Amino acid sequence: MIKVRNLKKEFIQGQERTQVLKGFDLNIEEGEFVAVMGPSGSGKSTLLQLLGGLDVPTEGDIVINQSNLSNMTEKERTIFRRKYIGFIFQNYQLLPTLSVEENIAFPLHADGSLTKKKNQIIIELLDSVGLKGLGRKRANLLSGGQQQRVAIARALVNNPSVLLADEPTGNLDRGKAEEILGLISRFNRENNQTIIMVTHDIFAAGFADRIILFKDGVIDQVISRKGDDYAKYVANFMA
Amino acid sequence: MLNMWRISWRNITQNKKRFFISLLGIILGIAFVTSMLIADKTTNDVFDYYEEMYVANADYWVLSDEHTYSEDVVSSVLTSPIVTETMLALDKQAFFELEGDQSLNQRSVRITGVNDQSSSLLKLPVIEGSLDNEGLVIPKAVANLLNKKVGDTIRFTDLGEAKVSAIVEYTQLLASPSNWERAESTSFRIMAPLELLQEWTGMEDKLSYVRFQTTEEGEKLFQSLQEEFRNSNVYVQPVVADDRQSNDIGGLYTFFYLIAGLSMFISGFIVFNMIYTSVMERKKEFAIMKSFGYLQSSVSRLILIEVLLLGLIGTAVGVPMGIWLGDMFMQTLLSVFEFDMVYTLNWKIPALIAVVVGILFPVVSSLFPIYNAGKTSVLLTLKMANQTQSSRSLYIVRAVLGVGLLAFVFINHPISYLAILVSIILLFPLLLLGVSRIFKPILKLIFGYSGSLATQTLTKQLNRNANTAAILAVGIAVILLLSAVIESAPEGYENEIRNTYGGDLRVSSESPWSNQDIEKLLSYDAVVNVDSLTEATPITWVNTNGEKRQFSIFAVDEEGPTLFESSNKDNLYYELAKEPSVILGERAFDEWGGNIGEYIYINTPSGKQQLEVLDVVKTSNYSGYVAFMDENHLNNKFGWANNFDVLLTLKDGYTGEQLRNELWLDFSTHLSKVETVEDEIKSTTSALIGMNELILIMLVLIIGLASIGTANTLLMNTLERTTEIGTMRALGFTKQQVKKMIIGEGLLIGLSGVIGGIISGVVLLYTTSQSELLGGVISFQLPLGNIILALIAGVSLSLLASWISSTTASKINIISSLKEG
Ligand SMILES: Nc1ncnc2c1ncn2[C@@H]1O[C@H](COP(=O)(O)OP(=O)(O)O)[C@@H](O)[C@H]1O
Ligand SMILES: [Mg+2]
Repeated sequence: MIKVRNLKKEFIQGQERTQVLKGFDLNIEEGEFVAVMGPSGSGKSTLLQLLGGLDVPTEGDIVINQSNLSNMTEKERTIFRRKYIGFIFQNYQLLPTLSVEENIAFPLHADGSLTKKKNQIIIELLDSVGLKGLGRKRANLLSGGQQQRVAIARALVNNPSVLLADEPTGNLDRGKAEEILGLISRFNRENNQTIIMVTHDIFAAGFADRIILFKDGVIDQVISRKGDDYAKYVANFMA
Repeated sequence: MLNMWRISWRNITQNKKRFFISLLGIILGIAFVTSMLIADKTTNDVFDYYEEMYVANADYWVLSDEHTYSEDVVSSVLTSPIVTETMLALDKQAFFELEGDQSLNQRSVRITGVNDQSSSLLKLPVIEGSLDNEGLVIPKAVANLLNKKVGDTIRFTDLGEAKVSAIVEYTQLLASPSNWERAESTSFRIMAPLELLQEWTGMEDKLSYVRFQTTEEGEKLFQSLQEEFRNSNVYVQPVVADDRQSNDIGGLYTFFYLIAGLSMFISGFIVFNMIYTSVMERKKEFAIMKSFGYLQSSVSRLILIEVLLLGLIGTAVGVPMGIWLGDMFMQTLLSVFEFDMVYTLNWKIPALIAVVVGILFPVVSSLFPIYNAGKTSVLLTLKMANQTQSSRSLYIVRAVLGVGLLAFVFINHPISYLAILVSIILLFPLLLLGVSRIFKPILKLIFGYSGSLATQTLTKQLNRNANTAAILAVGIAVILLLSAVIESAPEGYENEIRNTYGGDLRVSSESPWSNQDIEKLLSYDAVVNVDSLTEATPITWVNTNGEKRQFSIFAVDEEGPTLFESSNKDNLYYELAKEPSVILGERAFDEWGGNIGEYIYINTPSGKQQLEVLDVVKTSNYSGYVAFMDENHLNNKFGWANNFDVLLTLKDGYTGEQLRNELWLDFSTHLSKVETVEDEIKSTTSALIGMNELILIMLVLIIGLASIGTANTLLMNTLERTTEIGTMRALGFTKQQVKKMIIGEGLLIGLSGVIGGIISGVVLLYTTSQSELLGGVISFQLPLGNIILALIAGVSLSLLASWISSTTASKINIISSLKEG
C-alpha cells in the first residue's frame, strides 16, 4: 500500500547542498508495523516527513493508497494528510491552549467532520489510552507519558490508514515507553493500521514486524521478524 | 563597542517583518509628535507675527470716543520731544464703484488714510509696487477680487478715484473678505494717503487716531496725556498686542498636545511590545551569556543598544516626515480658519525636541524589559519552567481596580478623564473575553473551526492582546470625545449667541445715531425695537501678571439689551449701578487671573482706574473676551460718552438679511457695519465645522497607528506560536485555515478595541456634558457619523493588520517549526 520509488531528497542552504536521501525503493504492506533505525542525521525523520507529505521529494515517487504524493498541490497534500495520516512526535506537540479532548478532536475539527457520533469515539479513545476523566484538563498540565497518550489518541481519531511515529518514546523512561509501545501495537493489530516508527531504541524496534536500517541516506539492511537474522540482530544489539 | 552595535543590529533585524512593523510604529509616532510640535510653534508664530505687525513700533495712540477729532487736539503729542515718530490716520467708510452688479453692502469699503504709508509704526508686507504715499495700498484679497494690479485705477462712489500703488499680504489692519459672499457681511479695508482722503471727504484736519513712538520717558508722557485728555473727547492708550477678541485659538493647543501625547503613548506601547517579546524569546540566550560571566548590566546594555538603534532610525525617518506632515497640517488648519494668512514653518526647535523625544521615548517605554532581561535567572531559565502562565488573581486585581476607577464618572474634575481611560485599560481583559464569547458563534459561522480556535488562543496572551485593543480603544475614545465636542459645540454656541447678542441685528455708524435715524429705523416693518449699544473700544488693562491686554467694555443696564447670561442678572445690574465696577466675560476673567471681589487695572479715557470685578459671566460677545459696566458709570466716571451702535430686534418671521440692503441705502452716508446674529453664528461656528474634517483625518490616522500596534501584537503572537502552528499544519490544518485563525484573532482585537473605544468615548462624553466647564456648550449627543467611521476604520484596519501576520503564519515551515518545539 505504500510504494517508494527512487526517493531522493536534497537540502539547499545558500551555497551548500546536502543530499540526505540518496535514492532507494521501499514497499510497505497494509497493516505492517515497520521500525526505522539508523545513526543520527541519516535521514530517518526526513523520510517520515516525506511520507506524511510535510515536504516533497527532490526526485522519485511516494504512492500511498494509489495516490502519488508528488503530483499533489500543497493543499491536496494537507487534506490527504488529514484523512490518511496520523503523526506522533517525540516531543508530543500537543496544542497547549486546548484541553485534552480538544487536542484529540483537532483533526476532526480541521475537517469539519466532528459529529455526535464521533464525539463518542473521542471518549472511547480517551478510555482506551487510559486517560478516562482527564478530557477537560489543559493538555500542557499533563505528565510526559500522559501527553504522549493524548498524542496517540489524536493521531488515531480520524482512523488513518498510516501512523507515522518519530521516536515516540524518546523522551520517556523504559516503563512508560513500554506502555506507549503496547498501545501502538495494539492499535496496529486491532485496526490493521500501517505503522512506521523511527526509533533509536532496539527494545522499541522489537515490537515491529520489520526493521529497516538506514545509513547515509539509503537502506542498508532490512530485517524481518519472519527471517532468521531478526532474532540474531536483536540479540546482537542487546549484547 | 562597535561589535556590540553590530550584534544588536543583527538581533533587531533578525525578523524582518517584526522589525519593519515596530519601526513603522516608531516612525509614525515620532512623525505625529514632530508635526504637532511644529503646528503648535507655527500657529503661535503666525498669531504673534500678525499681532506684532499690528503693533509695529508704536507705543501709544490717541483715539476718540467720537469718530474723529481735529488735529490741534493732539498738538502736544506732535510737538513733544519725547515722541520720536508719529503716524496720523483717518478712517472713512465708502463704496467701490464697480462694473458688476454687486450690492451696496458688498461694495462697502473702509478707507484708512495715513500720512506716511512707509512709517515704522505701520508694517505693511508689500508684495507688489511700492509705498509711495500717492496711491492706494490694497491687500491681495481685494486685488484678486476686483482684478486690479499696481497702476490700475479704483473709483469710489461720490468720492473720487486713485491708482493702486502697492499690493500687500494679509495684515490685520487691512483684513478683507476674499469672496463676494463674505463681502455681504464684512467690509473691505484699504489704505489711502491721508491728505487725499481728507480732501475727498472734506474732513480737512480731522483724524481718527494718532499712533506714536516714544523714548524711554514714554510712561511719563502717557500719564501726563491721560491727565490732559481727562475731560476731552480723546483718550490715550498704549498699543497692545492682544488679538484675543478676534481669535479664540486657546483650545487648539490642547488639541495639538492631545494628539501628540496619544501617538507617543501608542508608539511607546509598540516598542514595549517588541522589546518585551524579544527579551522573553531570548531568556535562554541571556541565561547562557550570564553563565559565561556576562554581568547583569551588560545584558541590559545589549537591549538598550537595540532600543537606541530603533529610536535612532525612527527619529532619522520620522522627524523629516513629521516636518512634511506639519506643513500639510498647517495648510489644512489655516484654510479651516479662513484667514488669508501666510505662515513660515517653524520647524527647527520642534524638530530638535522631537529628536530628543524620539530617541528617549523608546528607551523609556522599554525600561521594564531592559531591566527584566538583565535580571534573567540562570538556573530558572535553563530549567525552562513555563513562566508565561498569567495568574488569575492578577486579573481579578486589575478588574477590581478598573471598576473602582470607574467611579470617577461621577466626579467633576479633569482628572476624571484620565481615571476613566485607565479604568478602561484595566478592564480590557474582561471586555476582550466578553467580546470573544459573544462573537464566537459568528466567527465560527464565518471562519469555521479556525474562528472558534481564534477565540481560544486569544486568551493565551490575554494581557498583551487586551492592551493592544485597549490602545485602540483609548485612541478612538479620545478622538470621539473631541469630535462630539466639536460637533455639538456649534449648537451650544448658537444658543449662547442668540441669548446674548442683544438683538437680531447690530448696526454700526461713524457718527452718533440721531433721533430721526432711530425713528426711521422704527418705521421699518420688520423692526420691533431699537436699543442703543455703547461699546468702549479699544480699552487696555493689566492682568495679574502685569501684562497689558486689550478688550472692549459694553454698557449694560436693566432696560438695555441682554448681553450676558447669569442667574442673578437683576442683582448684578443693581450692584454695577452702585459703585463703578465691572463684570468680566469668561475668557477675559481667565486671562486676567484674579478672583471675584478683587480689582482690575484699566486705562480708561479718564485715566488709570481700579475697578472691582463683581462676577464672571457667560457671553458670546467677543467669545467672552470682554467686560461689562453700568451705562451711567461708563459715561461719567469712566469717561466714554458716545455710542455708535444700535441693536435691532425684528418681528418674528423677518431676518436681518432682508434688511441689510435697505439699511445700507438709507444710511449710506455714515453706516460702517451691519452684522446679523446669523453672521455672528456663522463666523463663530464655521471654524469648528471645518475642524471636524481635521478630526476625521486624525481619527483615521490614530486608528491606523493603533492598527500597526495590532499588527505588531499579532505578529508576536504568531512568532511565539510557530511550533503550535506547525503542529496544526502537520495535523491537517490548511494554510487557509491558519490564516483564518489569525485574522479571527485580529478581528476580535479590532472589534473589542472599537467597542471599548465607543463605550469609553460615550462615558467621557457623558462626563463632559455634566461638567461645569463645558456642560452648557456640549450636549450629550452621540457623533454617529464618527462612530460609524471608527467602526469601519477600526475593523478594516485591524483586518489589514491581521492579514500581514496571517501570511507570515501560513508560511511557517512545518518541518523546522516542529524541530524548534
Ligand atoms: N530543512 C533542512 N535543511 C537543511 N538540512 C536539513 C534539513 N532537514 C534536515 N537536514 C539535514 O538532513 C540530515 C538528516 O536529518 P534527519 O532526517 O532529521 O536525520 P535523523 O532523523 O535520521 O536524525 C541532517 O544532516 C540534517 O542536518
Ligand atoms: Mg530525527
